[in-house]
Amino acid sequence: MTALDSVSANTHLQRSAEDLLENLAHPVLLVGEDGKVEYANIAGQACLGGWILGLCFQDLFPDHLETLSISTLAREPFVLVSRTHIRFRALIGSVTRGAVLLSLFPDTSQAPALSSEGDELTGLLKRRDMNDRLDQVLSANSNSVAVHCLDLDRFKVVNDTLGHGVGDLLLRKVADRLRTACRKEDHIARVGGDEFIVVQTSVADAKDAERLASRLVDLIGRTYVLSGHTVNIGVSIGVALGEGCVVGRDLLRNGDLALYEAKRAGRGRFRVFEPGMDAALRERRELEIELRRALALKQFEVHYQPFVDLSSDRVIGFEALVRWNHPTRGRISPADFIPLAEETGLINKIGEWVLRTACTTAAGWADDLTVAVNISPVQFKADTLVDSIVSALGQAGLPPHRLEIEITESALLDNTDSVLRTLHALRNLGVQISMDDFGTGYSSLSYLQKFPFHKIKIDRSFVQSAEAGSDSEAILRAIAGLGVSLGMAITAEGVETIEQLERIRSEHCTYVQGYFTGRPVPADRINSFLSP
Amino acid sequence: MSEPLYQLVYYSRNAIRGDETAFAKAIAAILTASRRNNPLVGITGALLFNAGCFAQVLEGSLDAVEATFERIQQDERHGDVSLLALEPIAARSFSNWAMGFVGHSRENADRFAAIGLDSGFDPERLGGQRIHEILRELVIQEEVVAA
Repeated sequence: MTALDSVSANTHLQRSAEDLLENLAHPVLLVGEDGKVEYANIAGQACLGGWILGLCFQDLFPDHLETLSISTLAREPFVLVSRTHIRFRALIGSVTRGAVLLSLFPDTSQAPALSSEGDELTGLLKRRDMNDRLDQVLSANSNSVAVHCLDLDRFKVVNDTLGHGVGDLLLRKVADRLRTACRKEDHIARVGGDEFIVVQTSVADAKDAERLASRLVDLIGRTYVLSGHTVNIGVSIGVALGEGCVVGRDLLRNGDLALYEAKRAGRGRFRVFEPGMDAALRERRELEIELRRALALKQFEVHYQPFVDLSSDRVIGFEALVRWNHPTRGRISPADFIPLAEETGLINKIGEWVLRTACTTAAGWADDLTVAVNISPVQFKADTLVDSIVSALGQAGLPPHRLEIEITESALLDNTDSVLRTLHALRNLGVQISMDDFGTGYSSLSYLQKFPFHKIKIDRSFVQSAEAGSDSEAILRAIAGLGVSLGMAITAEGVETIEQLERIRSEHCTYVQGYFTGRPVPADRINSFLSP
Repeated sequence: MSEPLYQLVYYSRNAIRGDETAFAKAIAAILTASRRNNPLVGITGALLFNAGCFAQVLEGSLDAVEATFERIQQDERHGDVSLLALEPIAARSFSNWAMGFVGHSRENADRFAAIGLDSGFDPERLGGQRIHEILRELVIQEEVVAA
């Protein structure tokens, strides 16, 4: 005979058992199979807002997204935050099939901060509370603390395409996954729209912190199913280890620097802070400031490198190449500043300036000379590219067929369709389009099929290492053959010697460009090429 | 239940570390937890497993399917979860929730035969839909990769 049987055998005792339940100091709820509250004792009704029988569990605990029985039977005890902003530790028992009995214990350890100031959407800490906790754990033992700064990748796309409702659901699930991955002594905060911070405690060594970061990258990057939508996002994480650092602010700054590096390395990964990151970032910030100044002060200059038609050995046009003449550092190579300009978006302005300058210069040349201008993938992402080109041509009075734009494969990697639309619009205007640096990137032949380029430029590396009988020579010959078949002209870049020139000639390339046929020169020295 | 039914199909790399005993123990734990949880929320379906991977068909209301899938996503025992389908269905293909070993390993087939019998796992039920067939083939391939 079980205890319950003996109770039900005695009505007197049964009544007092009910009384006991009714008068327990902590809330007890019975939630039916349909998720509705079937019973609540006095404490339960008082804590959760009066008459709650018949209400849905989810209405009472809006932050708890999953169906009660699923999530909670597996891990116990667990935390529930009520609609009345009280935080409980909950224990669960199964009464009959489908119904569950919940015992709730007000969780006073975190109550003051959370009940009033927690993040409403996710139930996580807010920045200020997280700062307090961080300072506390640092002062206790900074060597056992690690900070993880998280930034979701592609969250904005989800919000924009599926709406804020789904975006909010996603943030809640991310918060949930963070809770699953962390230990309960860790502190988790949402500090921005899609930014989170985890303060990891009891960290034995760097490996411990890396293990959590790597787990977070994996867990948050896993597919979500939200209201019937399949959603994939990623997360970038910057990790900073306490290691004697007693000021939370410094540690968070280090975490942010590492986060920046994680994003730069391609997102969807974590990076641990290293002292060098500080200097590297400072240097880049300085360069960025100087780049902006250079734009304002017009420290840029356009040089022009001729390309030669191999059938007539005549110069038929020039490629415009940007130069930065820094007042103290001297000439800075495009390889050093273009990546930063692309990262900061400054390339849009620099690129437009180069385009206008090149068109204006070319308008003063003989009628049969073209000017080739490089367009960065970043410029393709701006909607204004076609307009800028039309306006540059118009202001300079340059006929469109005398402008050639050079793009790299990477421009076609993202948003291929929208880039192709732009390219077709430019082609329809009469502008010539060439594929630059062919052979170095993905060299996907499908790009050549997707768009009728006027010209393919073979990367210099194939030209310079094309010894007779070498692999490079074979590649060179194959690309040249491809050009002939597709009706695209071929330019061999980087020709520096007479031997290279002769080999190129024998491979049926159409044009040649390089130091041997002419170095880049300022605009005022172009005439020397034309009247030798 | 008048709520529309959904079917979710995925497979994942089996990330259970340790020896055969650990594997058998983990499989038993999954069976216990799933049998307790799934009927409560009206989930039916089938879990196929071998040393290489898990594959599962989940059927039920959208909420229940989503919540169950989220629990799986948070489970360390699964790695590289690939979602193959999430779509409304007219009727359930499975009347309960069952799991069973699918693969060539004779040893594992014997070891886990009882679980299949015990949970009512019927590999024949997996022939009904194309997606189920694909799933079965994927599971067998993954076993080979793991071996």
